[in-house]
Amino acid sequence: MKTLELRNLKKTYFDPYAGSHVTAVHDVSLEVQQGDFVSVVGPSGCGKTTILNMVAGFIPHSGGEILLNGKAINGPGPERGVVFQSFALFPWKTVLDNVGFGPKMRGVPKAERDRIAHEYLALAGLSHAASRYPNELSGGMQQRVGVVRALANHPEVLLMDEPFASVDAQTRMTLQEELTRIWQERRPTVIFITHDVAEAVFLANRVVVLSKGRVLDQIEVALPRPRVWDDLIEDETFKRLSAQVLHMVRSA
Amino acid sequence: MNILLRSWSAYTRATARWPGLAALVPFIPVIALWVAVTESGMFPRAFLPGPVEVVKAFFSLTYRGILPDYLQDSLVRLFTGAALGMAIGIPLGILIGTSKWAHRVSWPILLFFQAIGDIAWLPILLIWFGFGLTTMTFVIVYTVLFPVVLNTVLGVESVPRDLARAARSLGASPARVLWEVTLPGALPNIITGLRNGLGYGWRALIAVEMIVGTSGIGFMMFDARRSGSVVEILLGMIILGLLWYIVDAWILAPIERATGQRWGLVTS
Amino acid sequence: MPHDIDAARPPRWLASAGGAAMFVAPLLALVLIWAIAVPLFGINPRVFPSVAAVGGAAMESIRDGTLIEHIGASLLRVGLGTLIGVVTAVPLGIAMGVSPAVSTFLTPLFRFFSVLAGIAWIPIATLWFGYGFGAIIFVIFNAVFFVVTYNTLLGVSTIPMPLRNAAASLGAGRWALLTEVLLPGALPNIVTGIRTGLGFAWRGLIAAEMIATNVGLGYMLFVARDFYRTEVIILGMIVIGAIWLLIDRLLLVPLERSTIERWGMVRRA
Repeated sequence: MKTLELRNLKKTYFDPYAGSHVTAVHDVSLEVQQGDFVSVVGPSGCGKTTILNMVAGFIPHSGGEILLNGKAINGPGPERGVVFQSFALFPWKTVLDNVGFGPKMRGVPKAERDRIAHEYLALAGLSHAASRYPNELSGGMQQRVGVVRALANHPEVLLMDEPFASVDAQTRMTLQEELTRIWQERRPTVIFITHDVAEAVFLANRVVVLSKGRVLDQIEVALPRPRVWDDLIEDETFKRLSAQVLHMVRSA
Repeated sequence: MNILLRSWSAYTRATARWPGLAALVPFIPVIALWVAVTESGMFPRAFLPGPVEVVKAFFSLTYRGILPDYLQDSLVRLFTGAALGMAIGIPLGILIGTSKWAHRVSWPILLFFQAIGDIAWLPILLIWFGFGLTTMTFVIVYTVLFPVVLNTVLGVESVPRDLARAARSLGASPARVLWEVTLPGALPNIITGLRNGLGYGWRALIAVEMIVGTSGIGFMMFDARRSGSVVEILLGMIILGLLWYIVDAWILAPIERATGQRWGLVTS
Repeated sequence: MPHDIDAARPPRWLASAGGAAMFVAPLLALVLIWAIAVPLFGINPRVFPSVAAVGGAAMESIRDGTLIEHIGASLLRVGLGTLIGVVTAVPLGIAMGVSPAVSTFLTPLFRFFSVLAGIAWIPIATLWFGYGFGAIIFVIFNAVFFVVTYNTLLGVSTIPMPLRNAAASLGAGRWALLTEVLLPGALPNIVTGIRTGLGFAWRGLIAAEMIATNVGLGYMLFVARDFYRTEVIILGMIVIGAIWLLIDRLLLVPLERSTIERWGMVRRA
């Protein structure tokens, strides 16, 4: 069943300095099935973050359609959870209150949303940090909070915008493994934006390669799950797919 | 919509090329509102004169030489006071900042004397020095001094110890460390202190000129108050605002940014 | 980045209870020097009073109630003027700061007026409202209003866009965006603004009371000068210093610290 569908999506924006319109996304069509995990990869400036921002509803699109369960989206909404590159945790809220923010917006009473938040923090192994403030946590821990905050709101699609780009290499691998584990447990629909080819292949069922605002190709990743780096790093299929995607991105 | 967007685009481009424009254009609606209010006759002219009368007063006072004289008096007082305040404040701050012990002893005293505030000194200064330049200078120096000292202390202490150690191990004498490491390291804070100090000092000057002055912009405004001439009060306020805006936005803030941000000492 | 947070706060020892004693000790030492120096050098009481004379003036003015009256009048004015200023400035600042274009456009304007805030308004305030309560409240109000509006504007416009987006994508409506993101996000700047504005207001108050009223700490000082009563002047200065120190250190600084440091937010000038 199709959850999300992009049809001939286009984005032009007005540059006040140049005084003219610039096209960031030319013509992108994409279908994402329910429970699927899709990576979008491409060089910087290929329009991948612009696409995510349009799907999230942060910026309007200039042409085409974005359909969620057959209905056009309108502005940001809780049915599309977002995980940000900059984490975007509220510095003035504790970890618990950050995770409980979505339920609070739905009008869930305090006791119940604390229960939900605790449940999701446990999922990410963060129960001990519930009463801390974001700036008291490491980058890796902050992004774990960012992920479960989005999940705790039961979104139909989870939009992740280079979420692991600003954590160190070791932590990034751990976070990637955790994400695949959580995905297997909860089966959210995920669109994952990244410029890291290995990350894209490691996580996804399908990798979408983007170039200059257009879809260059889509590659199915039929690797078995659960996926862990210790196994995949030597895996021939993984290596071949990564190389294939890398060539495409570099020649794009 | 399109026209709005296009004019906004033109404005953005123009202000990118001439940044001064961004500081001037927003005042056009304010002046228009001012004209509208005065022309509507909502308030009597004696209470709120229009911009044209203020401009006329400006030319008249300038022509008669009163305004340039007063302006010069105020500026000389302010900058003499600021220079003296820095000359005392920066060495004192470095002295206090380099010794933990001196810091502990002097910090409460500094905070207390800063808290008394410049203007509260005026009555006793009048008893000591009478009405005159000494009293005014004392108040300005006093006002500038404390923010400079307090910020210099914080600045000196914020210089990473490893920087001083690195300089020492590269062969610098303690005096050279002070000059090459401590002072530049503390500079962003010193500038911040100076900026705050001048902000307060400048207000203090106006107050002092009102209360004890015989010349200066503050005196001009208060004298105008006594004779009920609102035009000169408004003129005085505009001059004060413009003057400080120029000093703060075009001189002090850029220096602060240049030192702090250039070196990555200030994060935003 | 940790460095300028360190620089922004007073030393940590101040916070502890033992720190309070450490804080008072140097001040007591200063009083001791004063007590010894005045008789030792035979200073004329019309130039500088003895500790005993100031103490006597304190006792006397407390007994006849004048000191309390002056303090009360000053605090009432500052409190009321600040309250009106903050209550009007914060909503205005937030409303203007929400749109980046509007806030960029208006920033120079509020910067200009926050530069004028306080003392420079005394002449026109006394003309519009007459000498007395109204004029002084107006001076304090505008000392706080423009500075707080400017800082709120700045605070809201520097809240990172992803934070607003995050709230929106988690289902926050307009009201929730305001109470959960914009207000707390701008709070450090608002507090800084209040601290700065109140600093201008307090000075403006003393100046205005010297010029435009017949009660209050500034008036108390200025009248004492006419009679060369240096002990009353010094008493007034100590009271003014102590009150401001208490307001600043026990109210404003902890408030600033609890938001900026706990949340790890760096103050933006």
